[in-house]
Amino acid sequence: MKLLEILLNGLSMGAIYALLAVGFVLVFKSTGILNFAQGELAMIGAFLCFSFVMTYGMPYLGGFVLSLFLGALIGALIEVVFFTRMVGKPLFASIMVTVGLAGVISSIAGFIWGHDVYSIASPFTNKHLGIAGFTISSGVAYTILTSIVLLIALLIFFNRSLHGVAMRAAAEDPDTAGLMGINVNQTQMIAWAMGSSVAAVAGIFLAEQSFVRISMSHYGIQAMAAAILGGMDSVKGAIIGGAMLGIVEGLAANYLSGLAFQGFHFGDVKEVAAFAIMIIILMIRPRGIFGKEKVERV
Amino acid sequence: MAQEIYTTYADELVLLPNAWVRVWLALLVVILVCCPYFLSEYQLSILNEMCIAVIGAIGLNLLIGFTGQISLGHAAFLAIGAYSTALLTGQFQVPFLISLPLSGFIAAILGMIVGIPALRLKGLYLALGTLAFGFIVEYVLFHWDVTKGDLGMSVKHIQLGSYTIKTEAQYFYFLSVISALCVLCSKNIIRSKIGRSFKAIRDRDIAAEAMGIPLAKYKIMAFGLSSFYAGLAGCLFAHYQRWIVPGSFDISVSIAFIAMIVLGGMGTILGSVLGAVFITGIPHLIVYVTDSLKDTYPSLTGLIVDFKLGIFSLIVVLALLFEPYGLVGIYKRVKTYWVTWPFRY
Repeated sequence: MKLLEILLNGLSMGAIYALLAVGFVLVFKSTGILNFAQGELAMIGAFLCFSFVMTYGMPYLGGFVLSLFLGALIGALIEVVFFTRMVGKPLFASIMVTVGLAGVISSIAGFIWGHDVYSIASPFTNKHLGIAGFTISSGVAYTILTSIVLLIALLIFFNRSLHGVAMRAAAEDPDTAGLMGINVNQTQMIAWAMGSSVAAVAGIFLAEQSFVRISMSHYGIQAMAAAILGGMDSVKGAIIGGAMLGIVEGLAANYLSGLAFQGFHFGDVKEVAAFAIMIIILMIRPRGIFGKEKVERV
Repeated sequence: MAQEIYTTYADELVLLPNAWVRVWLALLVVILVCCPYFLSEYQLSILNEMCIAVIGAIGLNLLIGFTGQISLGHAAFLAIGAYSTALLTGQFQVPFLISLPLSGFIAAILGMIVGIPALRLKGLYLALGTLAFGFIVEYVLFHWDVTKGDLGMSVKHIQLGSYTIKTEAQYFYFLSVISALCVLCSKNIIRSKIGRSFKAIRDRDIAAEAMGIPLAKYKIMAFGLSSFYAGLAGCLFAHYQRWIVPGSFDISVSIAFIAMIVLGGMGTILGSVLGAVFITGIPHLIVYVTDSLKDTYPSLTGLIVDFKLGIFSLIVVLALLFEPYGLVGIYKRVKTYWVTWPFRY
C-alpha cells in the first residue's frame, strides 16, 4: 500500500514535470531554443492565479483560465520582443538570453509579490478520495487526470492538426516551410505562447501540491531532466520522461533519504535526483529515449 | 570594426604591439601601486573582489569565448578550489604557496573529468550537463561531513613563509600581482598554438578536426585550463573571505561570471578583465546610489539584494541583444571612429 501511495504521489509530480517538459519541447521543436525561463514562467502563472483567487476573490476556475491566457500572452510577448531579434545569432546567445530572462522574471516577481510563502485555496484543499481501499488527496487525483487530458490534447494537436504539422515543418526547415506558405514567425510565436501557458498550468498544479513562492521556479530546471530523458524533440518522450522522473524522484526520496555512507548523508535527495538522472542520460544516450539522432552536415 | 591584419608571424606574436599600449600599461601599474595610499579600506575591498573575479572570468572566457564550449557550472569549480584550500591549509597544514597551485590542479583534474563526457555533447546539451554538475557539487558540499555542510568552513589568512597577509592593502598587492600573472599567462596561451586551436574549434569544430587539430585533446585542455583558473580564483576567494559556505557558490555565481564575459566581450582577454571589473563594481555602485537616496526613499535599501541577480541578468540580455561584442566592441568602435575621422567606414 505504501509503495502504491509513493507511486501515485510520484505520478502527480511526474504529471507536472511532463507539462513543464512538454513546454520545453514545444519551444525547442519549433524554434531550436531551450527555454531556461520555463520554471519562472510557471512561477508567474502560479502567482497570477494566487492574485486572482486570493486577492481579487475570483472563483478558482476563473483564475485558472485567466492566468493560463495571461501566461500565453507573456510567452508571445517574450518571443516578439526578444527572439525575433535573435534570428541567426549563435546558439549561446539565445540560450543566455533565456537564462537572463529567468533572472529578470524572478526578480520582478520578487518585487511584486515578495519572498513570502503563499498557498491558493482551491476546491480540493484538504479533501481526500477513497479509491479501492486507500486514500489519496483529491488534488493529486485532479492533477493527474487534468494533465493526462491536456497532454493527450497536445499530442493530437501536434500530430493531427494543420497548425501542429505547420509547427513541425517550421522546426524542420524554416526556409522551406516559409516557401510552402507557412507563416514561420507566427508559428514560432504560437509555440512560445503554448509553451508558457502549459508552464502556467504546471505552476498552478505545483502550487496545489506545495506552495506559491519564488523558489518554485527551480522545478523548471529539474523538468529539463524529464525533457532530456524523453528526448528533446519528442512530445511523447517528454510525457513519459516526466512520469518516469516523478516516480524515480518519489522512490529515491523515500528509500534513499536518511542513509549515510562514509560521512555522506543522503538528505533532500529530491532536489538532486533529477540532475543525477540528467547527467546519466547525457552520458549514455544524449538524444533521450524517443529523440532523433541529429546528423550534422558539413 | 577595425581588425588588425597581421602580415607576419612576428606581428601576431608580439605582446605589446606599440608604444601607446606600453605607456597605458605603465600608467595602470603606477595607479595600482598608488591605490592603497589614496583609497579607503572599503574601496580596497572592492578592488580585491575585482582581482579575484578577473581570474575566474578569464578562465570562463577561455572555455566559452575562445573554445565555444558552453558551461553553466563555473561556480562548481570555484567551490572545488575554495574547499580544497580550506581542507589543505586547515586539516593538513599545507603551506599556502603549495596549496594555491594544488587547489588549482584539483579543480583542473575534476574539470578534465567533466570534460571527457562533454566531448560527446555539444551546444545546449553541454550547457545542461554543466548545469547539472554545478547542482550536484553544491549538493555534495551540503551533505558531506568533510565539508561541514551549511555550517561552512573557516579558512586562515594567507601565510607566505612567516609573513602573514592580513590588511586590505597587503591583500590588494598580493591579489593584483597574482591576477596580473594570470592575465599574462592567458595572453600567452591565446597567442600560441593552443589558443589558435581553441579558436578553430570554436569557429567550426568539424573543420578544425579536418585540419588536424585533435578535438578531444584540446577540448579537454580547455576544460582543464578553465577549471584551473576557477580553482585559483576559488582558493584566493576562500582565503580572502576567510569563511566559505556552499551557498556562496550557487547558480547565481555562474550567471554572474557569464555576465562578466558577455558584458566585457567574448573571446578577448581585455573583455574578461573589463567585464569582471564592471560586474563586481555594479552592486557596490547600486549600494552607493541607494545609500545616498536612503533619506528620501527608505524602502529602496531592502530591494538591492533581490535585484542583484535581476540586474546581472538584464545586463546579459541587453548586451546580447544590442552589443554582442561587449565593452571591447564599444571600445573598438569608438577607436575606429576617431582613427578614421572624419570618414566613416
